[in-house]
Amino acid sequence: MKNRNTWISIFVILWTLLFHYESIRYFYLNPLFHRNLPQMKFLFPPAGWIMFFNVGESYGLAQVYGVKNHHVEEIDPHRIFETKAVLYDNIHRNVLSGILDSFQKPAFCKFLNRKFPQYDEFLIIGSYYPSVIKEPGRKLSRVQYTCP
Amino acid sequence: MSISVSKIWNRLFLEERPSIGLSFFRIFVALTVGLHVLPSFFHLDDNYLSTAFKNYNLHFFTPEVIELVQKSPDAVVMAFVGVFGLSCFFFLIGFFAQISCIVMTMACYYFYALNCFHIGTLSWDILLVTLFLMCLTNVHGDYFSVDCLRRGNTDAYKTQRPFFIQRLLQMQIASTYFYTALYKITASGNWLTDNPLYYLWNYPPEGVTKQFLFREFFAARPELCHVIAVAIVVTELALGFLLFIPRTRIAAIIVGFIFHILLVLTLHVPTIFFFLFPPQLLLFIDPDGIIRWIDRKRRQHETTGQAKIIYDGHCGFCRKSLDILKTMDLFNYLKTVDYQTSADMSTLHPALTKEACHSQLHLIEPDGRLSGGFFIFRRICWRFPMLFSLIPVFYFPGSNLLGPLVYRWIAKNRYLFHSNEVCKDNKCFL
Repeated sequence: MKNRNTWISIFVILWTLLFHYESIRYFYLNPLFHRNLPQMKFLFPPAGWIMFFNVGESYGLAQVYGVKNHHVEEIDPHRIFETKAVLYDNIHRNVLSGILDSFQKPAFCKFLNRKFPQYDEFLIIGSYYPSVIKEPGRKLSRVQYTCP
Repeated sequence: MSISVSKIWNRLFLEERPSIGLSFFRIFVALTVGLHVLPSFFHLDDNYLSTAFKNYNLHFFTPEVIELVQKSPDAVVMAFVGVFGLSCFFFLIGFFAQISCIVMTMACYYFYALNCFHIGTLSWDILLVTLFLMCLTNVHGDYFSVDCLRRGNTDAYKTQRPFFIQRLLQMQIASTYFYTALYKITASGNWLTDNPLYYLWNYPPEGVTKQFLFREFFAARPELCHVIAVAIVVTELALGFLLFIPRTRIAAIIVGFIFHILLVLTLHVPTIFFFLFPPQLLLFIDPDGIIRWIDRKRRQHETTGQAKIIYDGHCGFCRKSLDILKTMDLFNYLKTVDYQTSADMSTLHPALTKEACHSQLHLIEPDGRLSGGFFIFRRICWRFPMLFSLIPVFYFPGSNLLGPLVYRWIAKNRYLFHSNEVCKDNKCFL
């Protein structure tokens, strides 16, 4: 019994230290020690528990257009990523914005060409609302890359 | 001083307390994992196979692990789908609870490393922390599980175990609330200096905010949005402490429930926020209090009358089945009566005969209502929490025809399942 309690106590202490270390490492400890402290991989989020911690008045999203016979049409993002989550819509969580980085181009173009063979070309558009408060209707868009 | 510290430490983590709360929580962990991961399997070609579009979480995994997992041929991916499905189901029903938890968690890691695009979210990382703690112990299989039925211990509901896992899970959710609030008001958080809710509720229709009732009303009132934002931060900060104070605990749990319901109603947030966190709040309910409440209900049934289940005491299979039913019988609703040792069955119920009792199980409820065979299960499934999930099965259209047939076949061949050699050829039935 004593042996068991010792092991439990050691685990509890180590776990508690690790949990709180990883909870504050990125935003509090790194600035305090002016360096990137070691991160525990495989278990904790990289920057602590930062759900909705900073919400700005701008909003960005990705849009995908298919081109066929020089006719351009927007593809519903739910057709691109068809996975339906329970009780929420992943597309509204802006998962599509992950494709905007240019390093994603080869993989995403390959994916689009497989999924939508009916189109000749795809335009990947990054759209941006500079301020949903001051200019609610204003949306800036630009082509991030194209998929032949 | 050292004695009191040791006493507090003992009380917090080492003391043995009933594990029923953790067993109940296991069901919700399994459901949450299943509901989060399984939908991504419906489009394997989009999500995990070689044709998928993939994203990798290099903050969470090392490049070596990502590389290794990416080498998986499609057949291995399919095999992991099977492993995940099976282990998640076993974990849900508590069949080899610890092993199934470990296997399911490993499968979760595999799919997370394979493609974090759909399943990888901050709340998913929280869930993995929870799973890690659940993997450490088999305590969550003590009750509401096939494991407890296999052991056949009728007192399984009050099994005492070291409290440390439940305490760490309590600390995990309380700390998550606390840090979430802390980040909102310090670091780069802007919940006090700016008006994030006002922005969220004015986001375009494509955004993360759902079209909930009165959204336009709130979206047009920045001051009100700010007040609500401050209230949210205060609530999150306070919850981390109020949950640990006995006098405020129940109120804090209710506030937590409301908080999560509102979150799911207003924002597109992962299922985890709804299916994991509220049940995790229930881990704060004193397990000794739960056992006292159950024991009160058990005593109540003993004094106000139990239902009598009439069985064949010569049938080992029946005795074994009754043991399983008694283990499930959390509120001590059933009293078992062996008709082989009862002289006159009509004293129990006028319609009962030895022949009738020989052919199938019978249930006499406290109000005198008599049912037999399959229909017993329809009656008791409302009384046994472990059978709640089977209510739709027992009442499924057509089950009143198919159920009795299946029951009759098993009842007729029950001596074939007999451990007694004399009855192994089913002759005892004749």
